Amino acid sequence: MGHQVIRAFTIALTIVAALPAAAHDLRVFASVADDTVTVESTFSSGRVPTEGAVRVLDAENTLLMTLEIGAEGMTRFALPEGAENSGLMIEVEVSEGHSDYWMLTPDDIAYGQKTDGTN
Amino acid sequence: MKTFLTAAALMASATTAFAHYGMIIPSDNMPGQEDGRTVDLTLSFSHPFEGVGMVLDTPVAFSVTHEGETTDLLDTLNETQVMDHAAFATEYRMERPGTYVFAMEPQPYWEPEEDAFITHFTKTYVSAYGDDEGWDTELGLKTEIVPLSKPFALWEGNVFQGIVKLDGEAVPYAEVEVEYYNEDGSAQAPSDLMITQTVKADADGVFTYAAPTSGWWGFAALNTAEEPMQYEGEDKAHELGAVIWVHFEPWATK
Repeated sequence: MGHQVIRAFTIALTIVAALPAAAHDLRVFASVADDTVTVESTFSSGRVPTEGAVRVLDAENTLLMTLEIGAEGMTRFALPEGAENSGLMIEVEVSEGHSDYWMLTPDDIAYGQKTDGTN
Repeated sequence: MKTFLTAAALMASATTAFAHYGMIIPSDNMPGQEDGRTVDLTLSFSHPFEGVGMVLDTPVAFSVTHEGETTDLLDTLNETQVMDHAAFATEYRMERPGTYVFAMEPQPYWEPEEDAFITHFTKTYVSAYGDDEGWDTELGLKTEIVPLSKPFALWEGNVFQGIVKLDGEAVPYAEVEVEYYNEDGSAQAPSDLMITQTVKADADGVFTYAAPTSGWWGFAALNTAEEPMQYEGEDKAHELGAVIWVHFEPWATK
């Protein structure tokens, strides 16, 4: 798969990706099952943040929505229309210096939809 | 006479038995999320410093363990060649961040020069997408080196520490052979003693080694099985190796 797709996607999101590089004690991962995106936010210690903002951007760096971190560090939202073609950038900021991101590429989305995100 | 001695020395040199290593080498041991979602793995059996390969028959087992779940990957292996000998390769998709431990149990290898069988339980650790969770995973293999140092994200010159275990118990004063994967053949050993270095574990089975340069380093803790194996109707020793491959990174500056 995927390296070229991811690289192209990365270039499109360079400005966004440059933002949250500082601290790595927050870890963010996002996956797709059916048409639902699940964002998991955890600290490297294993604890989960009690509050924070989840920002969802498209490949043009347009902010699509801002959500709150939910229980157990999980945030879920419906896959935005067209995201399967362009991918999504998901940034999570808990506090200053505690942020991370996950690039949900078109390949990630296609794979998640194909496997229901369970494999 | 001098010519004869030289030729004899050459023959002796050619037949010197250097250390055997089961090998699992991934294409990247710390892929970031920008590097794709798959890792290529190559399984082989060799003398890695000298670049001398041996045949790796179809392993008994090959698996990956992530977040406590082990998945059988034996059916995914494809035949390939490493150092001009039969080997195996596969591609694995890493779904989530964290540490993936790839482990191989080969078929026992009959080594006539040592009059013994050799089985190297071989593993390597891959940290996916910047997450090191699970770096100290113990698989519960017959024999195993359990890392005390993170088995990735090491600078050249750092020490690597591990506990040698056999049947789940630490092996006091276990002997651990250490060898560099001299992939491009550029490394030169001033003495045969430097091709395979040997350290011993302490009374708690803990060994320590500082890698002098970046690249892949193989650690093989060797023990002999209680039960011999049969070869042509005779009992033969069975060497059990606990092998771990660890990559050290070059010191980087801007």
